[in-house]
Amino acid sequence: MAAAPTTTTPKSEPGAFTTFFGAVGAGFLGAAQTAGGMTILFAKCVARIATFRIDGGELWKNLYKMAVKSLPIVAVTALFTGAIMVIQAATIVKRYGAEGLLGWGAGFGTLREIAPLLTALMISGRVGANNTAEIGTMVVTEQLDALRVLAIDPIGFLVAPRFIAIVSTLFMMTLFADALALFGAAYTGQALLGVSPVTFYNGVTGGLLGFGDVANGLFKSIVYGLLMALASCHFGLATTGGAPGVGRAVNATVVTSAAGVFVLDYLVSFASG
Amino acid sequence: MSSNQVKPPAHGFSTTTARAGAADHDEGQPELGTIGELGAAAIDLLIGGRELYSVFVRTLYYTFNGRREKGVVARQMYEIGNKSLFFLCTTMGFIGMILVYQAGLQAKRVVPDFTMLGAIYLELLVRDFAASIGALMLATRVGAGIAAEIGSMVVTEQVDALRMCAADPIDFLIVPRFLASMLMTLCLIVFAGTVAFVSGAITANIAYEVPYQTFFSMQMIDVGDVSIGLAKCLAYGAAIPVVSGYCGLSTFGGSEGVGWATTRAVVNTSLAIIILNFFISGAGFLIFPG
Repeated sequence: MAAAPTTTTPKSEPGAFTTFFGAVGAGFLGAAQTAGGMTILFAKCVARIATFRIDGGELWKNLYKMAVKSLPIVAVTALFTGAIMVIQAATIVKRYGAEGLLGWGAGFGTLREIAPLLTALMISGRVGANNTAEIGTMVVTEQLDALRVLAIDPIGFLVAPRFIAIVSTLFMMTLFADALALFGAAYTGQALLGVSPVTFYNGVTGGLLGFGDVANGLFKSIVYGLLMALASCHFGLATTGGAPGVGRAVNATVVTSAAGVFVLDYLVSFASG
Repeated sequence: MSSNQVKPPAHGFSTTTARAGAADHDEGQPELGTIGELGAAAIDLLIGGRELYSVFVRTLYYTFNGRREKGVVARQMYEIGNKSLFFLCTTMGFIGMILVYQAGLQAKRVVPDFTMLGAIYLELLVRDFAASIGALMLATRVGAGIAAEIGSMVVTEQVDALRMCAADPIDFLIVPRFLASMLMTLCLIVFAGTVAFVSGAITANIAYEVPYQTFFSMQMIDVGDVSIGLAKCLAYGAAIPVVSGYCGLSTFGGSEGVGWATTRAVVNTSLAIIILNFFISGAGFLIFPG
């Protein structure tokens, strides 16, 4: 027994089993911390918005920077998305000779799923990541502490305006993307399958698609907007560790927004059926 | 007009973000009118496109002629592949459930016949959704990482140090990521596509009571679908490191610039994937019509 210590591992190094469960536990704690932080931030934002303690100038500036400046990217994405939807539907349409259903098929997928989803992913890259980088840089360079010293509430001045701006940006961009995607789809259908745009639009508006489908997509966009606004502001405010920390925060925002968008998409689709 | 454009040496491509970042630094620029803005955007786009093309050609050149340390590609494969696996499987699992659920709703309204649901879903997955949505996810996860890493090397002048040592940053930084990304995108997308199909099958079974034997049907898959899907995997795998590496290399403006570079990398890579998807799908439809 005296020679045993040479063969066993030292006590200070945990075994593979402990390490694995330690990592899993740490992951869960981290996720819980993020979720809790985001909820508290949400409550704070709602409190500021409900009592109108938000900075109007910041709100307009952010709306311009986020919404107006994102228009070109959303337009290109939406046009190509509509075209891709028609190309994917084309094989099936050709096989069954169902030209009249093209508008319905492409419209259903675009309005309910693809336009809100792809717009959210593009806006998450363009606006969400940017927002985190901005707030993160301000945190790292101690500009937030300076605001507090000047008795300016950082939530009301920085976070709440961005929160409103991101949510409304995504809502408006989704409306815009819906229209442009259908436009792109109609003309791709004409070029590729010889289905006239009139037939296509009749397929979109005639009977099978209702206002409920558009509303479903728009409701999703609001849910995604809430998630992205909370995630980007939360990770921005939680930035630590200088310039590399900003990079890590941006990465965390992008990953959380993308994964969260898919999870929420599922939950909303399932709930609203 | 072009003298106004040279302020940050190698920006461009994503006109809006780069110029918004640049606007904070130089206030002496004359105000541009609407036409001027459009022209500036077009020039930016042209410069960016040319530089992106140059990065792509040099990447290809060094892929065949470069010198490489051992294990660099393997390390990047681990970074790109293994570390994205969980993220990609989660998102693709959820998208599989959503797509089948929505397709079932759609089928219910027209013809309540679910026998072809699995076959058509598998065809769409192989042709488009697995590769495109998987690659969009990879673009956010991997593209942002590459741009942030290379961008902070640019800002801390490590890239200039590389050039001083007569090592081309493209050979040293982008080529290993390029090779690793091509291979791992293919593997990841095949795996994630399988996850999406299985999660779709489970959803169909629970929500619409489609038996698994009916759902697992390969009758719609042909050579065209598989080759379009593989072509997409390879194209996206090549596009992600080239576009985001270019965005990283064109970083300017200190640590704030790294944030801008990351944002541009995600947006431009996603845009590149959507545009490539359009062209490959269109070509695929013309080469293999239904």
